Amino acid sequence: MSRTAHRLLACALTLVFATALHAQNPAPAPAAAPDLSDPEVAHVAVTANSIDIDMAKFAQTRTRNAAVKQFAATMITDHTAVNAQAAALAAKLGVTPADNAVSQSLEGGAKQARTSLEALHGAAFDRAYMDREVAYHQAVLDAIDKVLLPTTENAELRKLLVDVRPAIATHLEHAKQVRSQLGAPVRTGM
Amino acid sequence: MIVWLLMLLVVPKAPATTHTVEIRGMEFHPAVLTVAVGDTVVWINRDIVPHTATGHGRSRWDTGQLTQGQEGRYVARRAGETSYACTLHPTMHGKLIVR
Repeated sequence: MSRTAHRLLACALTLVFATALHAQNPAPAPAAAPDLSDPEVAHVAVTANSIDIDMAKFAQTRTRNAAVKQFAATMITDHTAVNAQAAALAAKLGVTPADNAVSQSLEGGAKQARTSLEALHGAAFDRAYMDREVAYHQAVLDAIDKVLLPTTENAELRKLLVDVRPAIATHLEHAKQVRSQLGAPVRTGM
Repeated sequence: MIVWLLMLLVVPKAPATTHTVEIRGMEFHPAVLTVAVGDTVVWINRDIVPHTATGHGRSRWDTGQLTQGQEGRYVARRAGETSYACTLHPTMHGKLIVR
């Protein structure tokens, strides 16, 4: 991948996950992504995936709603599979993920979002968690369509994006379906 | 009666066929499949994420979770129509028609 491709990918990932986290927790979005190396870009991708897995694991301990619980289980299963694929690609390309400022910023945002969710229980928790999941998957889908696919030149990374896209679209539909069963207006904070 | 029994022995039954349903792009391909009683249906998962093919109603068959590249089989023993879905992704639906 070229340095330009790195920058685009890093900016996109930062934008995507900062936006998704902002939807849940109106904290200031991180500054523009620095010029990341391959190992750092890989770390950002894995971190972003892991954040949704951790959120789903927390949701499973908090919710009593069967549909929310099932959605969270699917998020754990699917994002774990995507992470494994991303890790395999990174290994194939000889890239070892390296911690960096963008990953740390994502983790900080996720921690804040988690704190907000921890204060909620019952139906209020279910609605807030599902609102976040709708916003998160919409943001990821938009970034894939508008930024990542049009700019990614690396054939293997492009194939991964093409393969992952339908899963993200299905997660979004699933999240909307579950959210619509929970009543009260859907948040439109994006 | 004897003639009828002889015919049963002589007239060959249509051989059972194996049909494949590919799971790719979070969809069943084909989404609607018609098979004969005795045929086998194989679902193969081409996606990164796991899937199931799980029948609704009386025909409660279930492939269980199929990871990428794994296959699940079902032998159609009874005529009828069965809707099925992926239990992990409730927006994914298919239909199996057994004649």
